[in-house]
Amino acid sequence: MSPIAHEEVQAIAQEVFAAMIDGEPESLVPWPDAGTGSDAVVAWVDVHGPWLGRASLETSTPAAHELARALLSMEADETVPREDVVDALGELANVVGGNVKALLPEHGTLGLPNVADRLPDGHLAAAVQRVPLAWRGHPFVVTVWEVAEPTVSVREGER
Amino acid sequence: MIRVLVADDSRVMRQIVIRTLRQAGYDWEVREAADGAQALEEIRADEPDVVLSDWNMPEMTGIELLRRLRQEGFGTPFGFVTSEGSPEMREKAEAAGALFLIAKPFTPESFREVIDPVLA
Repeated sequence: MSPIAHEEVQAIAQEVFAAMIDGEPESLVPWPDAGTGSDAVVAWVDVHGPWLGRASLETSTPAAHELARALLSMEADETVPREDVVDALGELANVVGGNVKALLPEHGTLGLPNVADRLPDGHLAAAVQRVPLAWRGHPFVVTVWEVAEPTVSVREGER
Repeated sequence: MIRVLVADDSRVMRQIVIRTLRQAGYDWEVREAADGAQALEEIRADEPDVVLSDWNMPEMTGIELLRRLRQEGFGTPFGFVTSEGSPEMREKAEAAGALFLIAKPFTPESFREVIDPVLA
């Protein structure tokens, strides 16, 4: 059984959005049908240690740009450089991943955030919690993955 | 005016930290560093009054930076702003000489709660 509960993951995501983006806890709400389609952006961090796994955030490209604008206090019509979109989503994954890691009974180390249009091939982990949410009408899916055996090669190593 | 060095490999997070300092009422002079190694160079060149540092960074992590500073004789007041706020991390930070650890996500209130007592 996973040491991490669905409600805990949802609470972490809501707390992160309340503190960093919207200033209110209700901005991120459950949305069972949330799906990102073909224009997805995925950010993730890996946890190394006795518990080997990953926390990922998946949203749509327009939502990723809107999130970056919100984090940088930019106007709605401003264009966000791609590097800032990558940075913003990666940092959200880092904060969510750090808080997910804190739920584990035995602590490991957190990897650097990665951002891509999908998770890498050879991802041998199982989703132990998938939390589909909505933010300002956009899909936002938080998933915690667990690797049963330490066979996955993890990028970037520990930092 | 207090001079702070903000070290984080995320430009977005550095902006958020700087904005939160202002929202918390700290009208400080701010410099930035993109990793621990750059922060070390900045501090050697011109020591700030306080360092706010991320923990996980490429090149040199925040805890490596802090230990290196103490080895080199810098007693610069040092606080972590990191996504990992477990008791284990807090113990490590304190043992290395950090004054405080602010866990992400944070608010202006959480900045004031830990920074005000240090300033006093």
